[in-house]
Formats: sequence, C-alpha cells, structure tokens
Amino acid sequence: MSFSGDTIAALATPVGTSAIAVVRASGPQTADLVRAIFGTTPPPRLAQHAAYRDRNGALVDDVLFTFFAGPNSFTGEDTVEISCHGNPFIAQKILGDLFARGGRAAEAGEFSKRAFLNGRMDLSQTEAVMDLIHARSERALAAANLQLRGALGRQMESLISQLVNVLAKIEAYIDFPDEDLPLEGRQAVQDQIAQLLIGTSRLLATNQYGELLREGIKTVILGEPNAGKSSLLNRLVGRDRALVSPEPGTTRDYLEDRVVLGGHWLRLIDTAGLNQAASLLEKRGVDKTFEQAAGADLFLWVIDSTGPLPLLPPSLAARMTPRNTVAVFNKIDLPAAPRFDRLQAFPFVNISALQGVGLEALQAAVIKLAESFHVETGDELVAINARHAHALEQAKACLVTAGQKIASGESSELVASDLRVALDAFGQISGKIDNEKILDQLFAQFCIGK
Amino acid sequence: MIYKTPFDVIVCGAGHAGVEACLAAARMGSSTLLLTGNIDTIAQMSCNPAIGGQAKGQMVREIDALGGEMAINTDVTGIQFRLLNESKGPAVQSPRAQCDKKAYQFRLKHTLELQPNLQLFQATVTGLIYKDGKVVGCRTSLDIDFMGQTVVITTGTFLRGLMHVGQNKNEGGRLGDFSAKTLSGSLLEAGIELQRLKTGTPPRILGRSINFAGLQEQKGDLEPTFFAFHDTRDPVDPFHVEQTGERRIGWKPGSEQVSCWMTHTTPESARIVRDNLHQSAMYSGEIAGVGPRYCPSIEDKFVRFADKPRHLLYLEPEGRNTNEYYINGLSTSLPFDVQLDLVHSIPGLEQVQLLRPAYAVEYDFAPPTQMFPSLESRKVENLFLAGQINGTSGYEEAAAQGLVAGVNAALKARGAPPLIIKRHEAYIGVLIDDLVTKGTTEPYRMFTSRAEHRLLFNHGSAELRLFEHANNLKLLSDSRLGRISSKIDRIAYWENCLETHKTAGGPWADAIRRDKTAAVLPAAFMAEPKEAREEVLYRVTYRGYLDRERRQVEKLKDVERIKIPSSLDYLAIPGLRRESALKLHQIRPQNLGQAGRISGVNPSDISILMVLIASALRAEKP
Repeated sequence: MSFSGDTIAALATPVGTSAIAVVRASGPQTADLVRAIFGTTPPPRLAQHAAYRDRNGALVDDVLFTFFAGPNSFTGEDTVEISCHGNPFIAQKILGDLFARGGRAAEAGEFSKRAFLNGRMDLSQTEAVMDLIHARSERALAAANLQLRGALGRQMESLISQLVNVLAKIEAYIDFPDEDLPLEGRQAVQDQIAQLLIGTSRLLATNQYGELLREGIKTVILGEPNAGKSSLLNRLVGRDRALVSPEPGTTRDYLEDRVVLGGHWLRLIDTAGLNQAASLLEKRGVDKTFEQAAGADLFLWVIDSTGPLPLLPPSLAARMTPRNTVAVFNKIDLPAAPRFDRLQAFPFVNISALQGVGLEALQAAVIKLAESFHVETGDELVAINARHAHALEQAKACLVTAGQKIASGESSELVASDLRVALDAFGQISGKIDNEKILDQLFAQFCIGK
Repeated sequence: MIYKTPFDVIVCGAGHAGVEACLAAARMGSSTLLLTGNIDTIAQMSCNPAIGGQAKGQMVREIDALGGEMAINTDVTGIQFRLLNESKGPAVQSPRAQCDKKAYQFRLKHTLELQPNLQLFQATVTGLIYKDGKVVGCRTSLDIDFMGQTVVITTGTFLRGLMHVGQNKNEGGRLGDFSAKTLSGSLLEAGIELQRLKTGTPPRILGRSINFAGLQEQKGDLEPTFFAFHDTRDPVDPFHVEQTGERRIGWKPGSEQVSCWMTHTTPESARIVRDNLHQSAMYSGEIAGVGPRYCPSIEDKFVRFADKPRHLLYLEPEGRNTNEYYINGLSTSLPFDVQLDLVHSIPGLEQVQLLRPAYAVEYDFAPPTQMFPSLESRKVENLFLAGQINGTSGYEEAAAQGLVAGVNAALKARGAPPLIIKRHEAYIGVLIDDLVTKGTTEPYRMFTSRAEHRLLFNHGSAELRLFEHANNLKLLSDSRLGRISSKIDRIAYWENCLETHKTAGGPWADAIRRDKTAAVLPAAFMAEPKEAREEVLYRVTYRGYLDRERRQVEKLKDVERIKIPSSLDYLAIPGLRRESALKLHQIRPQNLGQAGRISGVNPSDISILMVLIASALRAEKP
C-alpha cells in the first residue's frame, strides 16, 4: 500500500509566545528543503546553528536546526526540526517560507499518522493514534470555526460567492451553447476577476497587519527627563517595571514591555529623557531614544504639566503626527499645574501617573490611534496566518492568469480551469467547495432548458 | 412455468440502457436474454430526436470506445450533425446529431436480432425472483419465469409511471405505453429504497401545418463530426451491409442533412401560461416528483424568469419519412386546450396541428447511493441497475450506464472482478462516481462542469483514454484494438518529436503554441490521419493546462488505490465523527478517494480510516 508522499510542515510547539518555537517538516523533499535553506544537509541528529533566510534571501531569525534521516525519525521519513525564537510571528514566517518552497500544511495529527503508517509505532497504538487525530482535528476545527465565524469567514464567503458567480457565468456559455443566453460579457467577467483580485490582495495585505498584531504595535514613550515616563510605563503595565526616582535621568537605556489595550498588543518602550545638556552616559541613552523613535508606530509624548511646553527635537517632530501621537500631560495632581487645554498639534490627555488619574482617557486615546493601523478590508478586520496566506497567494496567481487569458481572448474553458484552481485554494481556508454550488448559481442566474 | 434454459445475464427493459447492456453482455460471450414489454419500441427516443450535445457527445464517443452501439447507430441514422462550441477549445467541443427516430430504433432492433448469444423476448417483467439475498431470475406477465445468474434492470420511466396532461392522468411510462406496476413492490421487498422523480416532454406537431417563412433556419455542419471511431463511415466500406450481409437500415453518415428551425414564445404565450398556471399538473400540486432544473417546463420559465421577454424554441424534425416535429423548449403539463392556445401563440405555429400533447411523467427511481460503482445493488447480489431507475436523465447517460452494467453483469456471472471507470478517465466515470457517492435529488444530467479534469476529456481522445479497459476486457475486435494501440504510439511519437526536435526557430511545439495556424509542420506529420494529428496538436497547444490536470490526477490516484475492506463497521470506529460515520455507513465507499468525495467527510476522517486500514493490513502480514 502506498501513502501519499508529499512533504508536510507545521508548528510543533503550542501557538503563542514562548521562549522557543519549533517548526517541523517531514517527507521526501525534506533533505532538498534543508539544502536549499541552509546550504548543506548536515549529519543527522546533530543540532546546527544557522541563519534562516527566506526564499528571497531576507534574514528571518537565528535558528537551531536538526535533520533526521528516515527511517530513523519520529515519522520514519526525512524530518527537520527548526527551533527559532518564541515569537509566533517568526515561526509563522518560517512556516510560510516552507509552504512557498513546496511544503504543505500538515493536517491534524498527520505527523503521528505518518509515524504509524511507516511502522514507527506498533499496532497497540492504533487507537491512540486515531484518538489523537480525532482530538487534534476537533481542536483545529473549533479554532477554524472560530476564525470562520469572524471577519475572515465573512471575507472568504464574499470572495467565494463572487468566484462561484463568475464561474457560473463562464460555465453557462460552455455547457449551454445552444441556449438563448444574454450576450457573453467577457468584459464583465474580466471586471469581476479584477474585483476578486483586489479582494484577495486586500486579504493578503492583512498578513502584514497580522504581523503587527503578533509583534505588537511599537509604542515609544518619550519626553523631557523627569516628565514621568517610567511612572507611566509602570501604570500601563500594572507593575513596577521601571525604576523610578525624582532624580532626572534615571532611565539611561530603554525598557520594553508588552500590554494589551482594547484588543491591541502594544510593545511599550520607555526611553531615556530628551536632555539637551546631558552627560556622556545620558547622551548615549538619548541616542538610543532616537533609534527607537525611528521605528516607532505610536508615540506617547509625556509632558510635565507644571513646566513650560517643551520643544521637540526636529527629527522627532517630523515623524510625530496627530495620527500616531498622544500628548500626555502628567502631574496634574500637583497644585501649581496650569492646564494645557489648547494644544492643537496632537490629541492630548491630562493624567497623574503617580495617582493613576486620567488613565482611562489615555487608554481610549491610544486605542483610537491603534485602530488606524488596521488595514482597510471593507469594514472588517482580519488577520491571516501562514497557511491562509499561502492559499491566498495560490488563488491570486490563478486569478492573475485567468484575467490575462480572458483579456487576450483565450478560450473560456482555460479561464475556468484557472478559476477552479483558485476556488480550490479558497476551499483550503474555508473547507471544500462542492462543484454543485456552481451549478446552483448557474441555474439560479440563467434560464436554461431547451 | 420456468423457461427451459437459464441465462448468464437477463436484461429487463430495452431502452437506451437496456440495449447497450444486453449487447455488451452478449458480445462478451454471456448467454443473454433481453425482456421488453414491446419489441417494437426498442431504443425509442421518448423525448427529443437527438443524440449528443455538451458532455453527452463526449460520453457517446466513450461508449463507442468501449464497444457500445449508440455512436455508430447515431452516425448511420443521423439527419443533421453539428459540432457545438466550435469557437471554444477542443475539450469542450461536443458533437450532436438529430436522428431519424424510427430508423434509429429499427436499426438497433435489427442489431439486437443479429447479435449472437442474445435472445429477445416480449414480456412485461412483473417481479424478481430472490434466493438467499441474491436475485436469480424474473417473473413475467405471461407467467413465464426466466432464470439468470445476474439481472440488469433498466425500467426508464415505466416503474409506476404516471403521466399528467393538466388534470388528466394516465398510467404509463410513455404516451401510448404501459406502466410497470408490480416491479416496484418486488424491489421494495428486497430492501431497495424507492423515491419519485418527474420529467416532461413537449408537444409534437405536424410539419406541413408550420409556416416556415420568417423562421430562422439552423443547418447542419458542412463537414459533419461523427460519433463512432471505427471505419464504417468510410465511403468505400458499405456500412449498411455489416456483419451478416443482411441489408441494414441507415445511410451514408452526414448525407442529405435536414434543417431545424428556430422560433420563440410571445407575450401572448406568457399570458396564456400565467392565466392557466392553476391548471398545470405541476403547479396545482398534482405532481410529487422532483423535476430537472436544466430542463424546466415552460410554466417554470415564465414564473422563475418573469423578466425574460421571450424564450427560444427549436423545431426539430423527427425523421426523414415523417412530417412530425418536436418543439424543443416547450415542455409542459398544462391541459390540452391550453397547450393548443399556447402553441398557436408562437410565430410560425399559428395554424399548427398538434399530433401529441406535451405531458409530464412521474416514476420511481432507486436512489443510486444504494449501488456499488459496478452498478450492482448493495442490497441484492447479482442485481444491476442502469438508466433512469438510478435517477439520471438522457439517452446518453442511460446508455453509458447500460454498457457498464451489462459488462459487469457478464463479468459477475463468470466470477471476474468488475469494470470500474474512474472519474479521471472519462465522463462515464464521473457519472457513476457522482451517482454512487453523492446520489441525486433531481434527474441527473451530465455537464462538462461536473468533471474536475474536463480538459483531459476532449471527445477525440475517448478511445485513447479508455483503451486499457477495452483491451483488458476485449470489448473491441482485435483489429480495432490494434489500430488504437498503434494510434496511441503514433501520437506519443509525434508529441515527443514536435516538442524536442529543433528547427531553426526552436522546437515545432513552440511555433504551434505561438500560432497553430501559421506553424509550418513536417510533411510526415501532416500525412498522419486527421484524428491523430488533431490530438497531437491539442496536447501540444494546451500542454501547461493538461500537465496541471494530469498532476492533480496523479495525486488523486494515490488515495484511490487504498481499498476499504467491505466488512468495515464505520459505526464502531473510535474517533470517527458521528456524522461522518453515518455517511460512510450509508454510502460504503470502495476506496479512500471515494470516501473523501462524500460530502461532510473530513480529511481527518480519512486519516483515521487510513490508520485503521494500515493497522488491519499489518495485523494480517506481521
């Protein structure tokens, strides 16, 4: 008996942030994959340190990888395990790259299934393996259902119904040439394919947004020394993360922590104060602040409300806009505080980090800005993972070809062939799509029947 | 009484399924009996007088590639030939022919009469004879019992057939014919579930009462495309003197073609139908059976597509020696007087005489998921079913099943494994796989869009695709098998040669893909027969697409090869979801590929089955 011999890949460690994530691939092309990625096939079972570069040569992460030659592996096939840093984004990126190089997403329990089929488990484990496949698939199904019930599901449903619609149109003219159908509108079909391409590309673009979600929105807290930046960080993360003191310049390096605000994952970075006349050590801290600010998505500009409105260094002022900055007037608990109510440049809030006053308003202001990072996908927000991205890439490629074919006047069964592959790719995300759907649409749309 | 000699195969019903079934069985050497209620209506075209069309035309060529009779019979009795979709690619081009209805019938009747190993007998089958859960013969209205090792049932619309013309109801499977009233009970008794379907047919009119002036003429192709692959159409080979040298009905294929005519409904037609909807058998709730969506009645058309100003109608001649015309597109179950008004509201038909009214017919069918892919019943061993009893519609769909059922009944009678045509090999494979795996809720008709790999199913490749089956089972003559085999070799040779042989401007194949009409090709290639040449050009031109479909097929074959033991108790498998277990238990797929196509069965269910099967195999061979 032969079992299908393609190469499968999946995350072997639980999804989420842990210190290390392991991506595993198994199948006949594993050795080729390892050679293509790392340049060599190392001796089996020896962990190697290497840089993981994706298909385009971009560095993804420093990883440890171990190659196992079949049959002496868990599955009995050639296998590789790649340990990367525990950021789920990195693991997804590696997985996505493996798919792009010809791997396929493993089904629930498929590694164990292969181990069993290749005789790496004995017969007494038959039921255990079947139970495992069942349990994993139930979990995967629950997770997928959750996703499909949400925004992704709605986006997919709309793409699929559009595609079924186009296919029904094309099929009607293929299968019913003698019918009295309205004139075959190739231009309309071409327009619909173009629409589908836009929809698919938009959904794919959320892959980038997904990265943002997974990595966190980089939020830099900056301001004059002793404005209360570290107190604010501590307030936001809800514990004493940063050392605070009334002494200006206490924070000389930057500090980082993560916090979830209104469903957004923020990477908070507390920086050294922007001190004009700084010591050499402080100066180095300020340089790092500029470095962090250069890659920031959001700014929290902390201002001591008891003092005069400080000036921003020009390089920072250029990057800060009302769409990415909140001015945070701190220390309103102090009696001498004059209120700055008329700052025009940025949205602002008044708080006391010390006493915890005004934090809700600050959170609301930050959430409002975080939302602007959402990619426009109609009015829905979607984040897709590596497997989805791979399927969408496939669909996109076929839609592009179909669009070209129809534009160059090629025969419509070829256009249909490409569109069907695209439909299958959509089906990888939303579940198998029955042919019958196309016929249902066809008979609903056209009066067929001599 | 019991008839004195038992048969290997008994075929009940002589429609398009029955004739292919009995011919196939007899040609394979089985002693075969054909029972029909009326020998004069063998292979009657109960509906339109045409064979072929989209997907169906390809299927007729597949029937020919497996030794069936439909193709040659159509060629020889055809009165108009058209290749549909000529402007599109070869994969979706389909031959279609209008036939002389009576010539078609009489030629097939004569073919059956001349067929060695085949006996014809006129008697209505009233029931089946069972023994130990197997069928062993059938009872007839003449109180003669016939015994057979296998029985093929092809009842068409006759199983408790009930015809409707408005509120008027008549028992029968076809106007003027009888209804098989007791056979249903015999099937139910054996545990076979039955349901109702409905189909309809339009009025027939007298040609000399039609005013053709002003109607658009539809002529046949100047260069007709035929269905049969064999050489009987060769003008030097007098096809009407075949086999025994007896004079046969028929003419030189493509000669003296006749025209069809096009007309359309009017606003007046719409008004007549709408005003009388309550009298329509279908709209007044008289009919319980489900009708086909692709062949709606005129009532349906006006109701469901109310904004469509008019509906196209074709007037099709029923033969050379008759003045009867078929109004394609005007199927209805309205009362006769309304039909008359309706027909008279149509341009060209204002004064027309109705010869036969339109009617709807309801009949029993056995949901086809109760069969194995061999078309043998899972409930009763040695019982095969083909045609409309399996929920299909169309002469071609029926003939295809009849052929497979006949071959398999013969194989079963001699204890040989069945012929299973896969869905990636032919439309016949798609047809049978859909029926036994998914079942159907309306009369099932083949469409090219039902085939995942239709680019591989161009009509010209039918005898190449099915050669292995034909060769293994010797369904064709040795000389014909030899010709196909060398044709396959020639095509492979030229495919390779055009692809690899370098000319000054690169391989010929590149020139073909750039512009097929401008490419200058080697003289030796141009000297090959047209069919072989066209196949090579098709494969070269569409290489990328065909390769992609072939790769998909290869992947599919892997899971198709993993057989599921027939004794498997799905309901007792741990980990299988209840919904899947029930579906699998109901359909009982033969292999993992088929299991995966059942709606509601997930990849994880297939994984679990795979583990279970592997485990069983390992336990057998430690």
